[in-house]
Amino acid sequence: MPRWTLFHRFILRPLKREPTRTALTVMAVALGVAAVVAIELAGGAAAGSFHSSVETLAGRAGFELTATGGVPDEAVARLAALSLDLRIHPRIEDYAVLADSRRLIPLLGVDLIAEPALDGNAAPDAAGLNFFQQDDSIWITEGLGYKRGDHVTLLIDDLAHECAVRGVLPAGAGEAVVMDLAPAERLLRRRGVVDRVLIDTPQDSRADLATVISAALPQGLTLTRAGARTEENQKLLAAFRWNLRVLSYISLTVGAFLIYNTISVSVVRRRHEIGILRALGATRRMILAAFLGEAAAFGFLGSMAGLALGRVMAEGAVRLVSATVESLYVTSRPGPIALSWPVAILALVAGVGTSILSALAPAREAAVVAPVEAMARGRREHQARVQQWRDLAVAMALAGAAWIASRQQPVSGKPLFGYIAALLLVAASALAIPALIAGLNAAALDLWRRLGAEALVASRSLVGSMRRTSVLVGALSTAVAMLAAVGIMVGSFRQTVVLWLDDRLQADLYLQPAIPTGADRHPTLSPDLVPLLAALPGVAAVDQLRSYEISYQGLPAMLAAADTRITQRYGTRPFLSGADPADVFAQLQRGDAVIVSEPFSNKHGVHTGDSLDLNLGGRPAAFRVAGVYYDYGNERGTVLMDRSTLLKYLPDPAPTNIALYLQSGVSPEALLPLVEHALAGRRVLVLTNRAIREQGMRVFDRTFAITYALEAVAVFVAVMGVAGALLALVIDRRREIGLLRFLGAAQGQIRRMVLIEAGLLGLVANAVGFVLGFVLSLLLIFVINKQSFGWTIQFHWPVGVLLGALSLVYGATILAALYPARVATRLVPIEVVHED
Amino acid sequence: MALERVSKNYITEGVPVPALCDVSLEVERGEFVALVGRSGCGKSTLLNLAGAMDVPTSGRVVLEGIDTATAGDTGLTRLRRERVGFIFQSFQLLPVLSVVENVELPLLLAGRTGAREAALEQLRWLEMEEFASRMPYQLSGGQMQRVAIARALVHAPALLLADEPTGNLDSATSDLILVLLRRIATETNTAILMATHSTEAAAMADTVVRLRDGAVQEIRQAVKQA
Repeated sequence: MPRWTLFHRFILRPLKREPTRTALTVMAVALGVAAVVAIELAGGAAAGSFHSSVETLAGRAGFELTATGGVPDEAVARLAALSLDLRIHPRIEDYAVLADSRRLIPLLGVDLIAEPALDGNAAPDAAGLNFFQQDDSIWITEGLGYKRGDHVTLLIDDLAHECAVRGVLPAGAGEAVVMDLAPAERLLRRRGVVDRVLIDTPQDSRADLATVISAALPQGLTLTRAGARTEENQKLLAAFRWNLRVLSYISLTVGAFLIYNTISVSVVRRRHEIGILRALGATRRMILAAFLGEAAAFGFLGSMAGLALGRVMAEGAVRLVSATVESLYVTSRPGPIALSWPVAILALVAGVGTSILSALAPAREAAVVAPVEAMARGRREHQARVQQWRDLAVAMALAGAAWIASRQQPVSGKPLFGYIAALLLVAASALAIPALIAGLNAAALDLWRRLGAEALVASRSLVGSMRRTSVLVGALSTAVAMLAAVGIMVGSFRQTVVLWLDDRLQADLYLQPAIPTGADRHPTLSPDLVPLLAALPGVAAVDQLRSYEISYQGLPAMLAAADTRITQRYGTRPFLSGADPADVFAQLQRGDAVIVSEPFSNKHGVHTGDSLDLNLGGRPAAFRVAGVYYDYGNERGTVLMDRSTLLKYLPDPAPTNIALYLQSGVSPEALLPLVEHALAGRRVLVLTNRAIREQGMRVFDRTFAITYALEAVAVFVAVMGVAGALLALVIDRRREIGLLRFLGAAQGQIRRMVLIEAGLLGLVANAVGFVLGFVLSLLLIFVINKQSFGWTIQFHWPVGVLLGALSLVYGATILAALYPARVATRLVPIEVVHED
Repeated sequence: MALERVSKNYITEGVPVPALCDVSLEVERGEFVALVGRSGCGKSTLLNLAGAMDVPTSGRVVLEGIDTATAGDTGLTRLRRERVGFIFQSFQLLPVLSVVENVELPLLLAGRTGAREAALEQLRWLEMEEFASRMPYQLSGGQMQRVAIARALVHAPALLLADEPTGNLDSATSDLILVLLRRIATETNTAILMATHSTEAAAMADTVVRLRDGAVQEIRQAVKQA
């Protein structure tokens, strides 16, 4: 109790006396924690959602059987004939769009007679089953606003189908449209194949059941434990979520600098009091505990506020994260945002832990103050200056360690050493700041005088309060560096994608089904469109592209095929592997070779000359890798083969996309009416070359929107920190400010002095942040991104973005100084000068 | 500088508390006036009013012909810049500036040219030139007060206000500072108004004004020894 009284009087009471500064520090922690909480919640909601409908409706199967291009009916028959106690559920799985709401929804074809129970709760009733074999009969889950007897238009691939709702399934089944297997096969153009076979096994089934089932099946089919696909997707998403998590901790890192600053201010201000307390019998441990308690109080309050704020921010974050997951990884619908105990504990650990860790150094410093040692600030700052050269040496050593760390290989696919290198660089730059400020000040010694008394006092005050200034510059420069680094990385990536699209998109018009596509959804066009389009006047070539979802080495990937003769004729794209394009295309056209995308190559360690084993159409097939190509279309990785090769294994001729190359002199706009006429009645999206590029860039920009949002939070935290710290500086230097008024300084000059101080601080932070950001961007582009996602990014300076961002931060820093400047001008000189 | 029937009240918790009552005083160029009296008698308030740091509740403070009550904040700032110099008990040097930078500060604030030369000249006059590039924490108390005096004189003020200038110094150093102030009044024709508790300090002045409870109790001209 007495200790609590001491803590209250010595620590909490002074905090109450400065509510603005206390609130700013708490808010800095709160925002840092909120960013972490928001990303954790959003990541959970977005990643947890892709096993919503399809997986929920899968019931409690033991195994599942899949094959690229579908599981042949004969394999299903073989399974059924096995003398094992198995229940077989063949399924068609795809997506349809509800035409009236434009909502994408899973479409499932199941054998409604043989196994009417989709899962325990989702059985269609007997009345509706009378119509099960009709092509227009569907069952729909409740919550979508339909009832039995309603008529629904479903967009499937490139056609619209009028359907009748025969029954409503309970909500427990998730959202889906269900139909009988046979009509689904017809509607979705599955000929003699199903997409997946679920296998129910008895509770006490044999341990070697999987081996027995596999042995009974033809080669080329994949038998996995049920739910393996969800695990594959989780694995695929791991790097994305990991990187997002790391980004979300930037704000907290910036907040850590500010906690360090706040506790340092407390220690410096109360040095005299510490001396008295020590003389009166306070132990070092008590002093240490008092200041760590102060930090913990900031951390606790910040965590609580951050938890609530993070829950609110998660609403926005989940939309951005889901959009990225959808376009780059897997079909996803955001699940509910669940604020769970683990997330609350994470917030507390992050907030309180960061605060206590940041406060350790200043608190230890307070604890070692000898009772007789209540030194003046000038002396202490002198010590800080003396140590600046030692710190610079440590900074250089850390930079060297960062270089070594950046050369290391990833650990379990994660660029751990890359992150360590980034942290070492941030620490190195923070340690180099005092020497840099001193050096700059010495270099511009005369310049400040020439600029006037305000500039002279402001610059000297910055150097004079070196310990504090360097921490502030450290915080702001870290935020600026992250902004610059991510800005350069995203700008470089964007430019790389622009160049890649320029090269890849050589056709004049592109056709795709008018329902949303995704990384794992490949709706098809009717194959009879191809001759119609080829016959149009002015069309030089028609390329048919086909994509399939495949699984390779336990990870989802994409199998794609194109007419490589056309690609060769129109494309100019060089191969990453440096292979001769003519030779590569010749190999592809011979039918025994494939090329793989860069992310595929990096993810699976597959290189030119390697052999690649795939299961296609229920048959195993081996291909030689003829080359590795640049691809930024999806992160899962792609295996590309010639269309003729694909058709040998998977004879479905329906293309996923069609590319039309026009004869020279024929304008795409002029041909559009003819194309649309040929498509009469089909739901097909026709995009010009320019439109598809714009669409690509929109996806790109949407992908990085969350990154910019997190950066903005970090910068906001830093700028708030600057406001709080400048306020502290003004309060601590109030006597000097009062003295200046005695010496003839006008109020405007005092205001200018504080603003110049903020300006100098911003300038140094921007300069340090820019240099650090440049180095970090190299680390992001060539180490972290490469090891996480496997993409080669060409370095590019996004000058406009950088200038804009840096100016914004600079302007915000000056704005943040307005309130402290106002406080400074309102000080009553007579009172503050005679305070002693 | 003249104070004409000056009163000053401060408001404490809504209640006006008188600090000075009906004080009249005139200080001529070259005159050295000492203000004496107990703590809280109004010495510092009188200095603040005389130095254009504050305005009276009633009465007039006239500095070089200008009534401070009508000057406004800009006018008061200009008066301080051009006509008044301050020295304090605790020296009040800016710890982040070197000696010469401290001294030239008033000139820089006033935007005057030739600040560095004038500052060095002032330091030379006070025999402190060799310390010009030192930082305040590298000086002794007496040296710091001499730097503060240099800063107060650098813009050639008409009035030098000194608030307990020897309060933080030992007696030998105090004597040196007082002699210096005496010399300033005589050689530079600067009026000096000094608040002090010390009878030795007051003995250096031409005039001693004794304040009690905010009112002038006694004005005594010093008897100069031949």
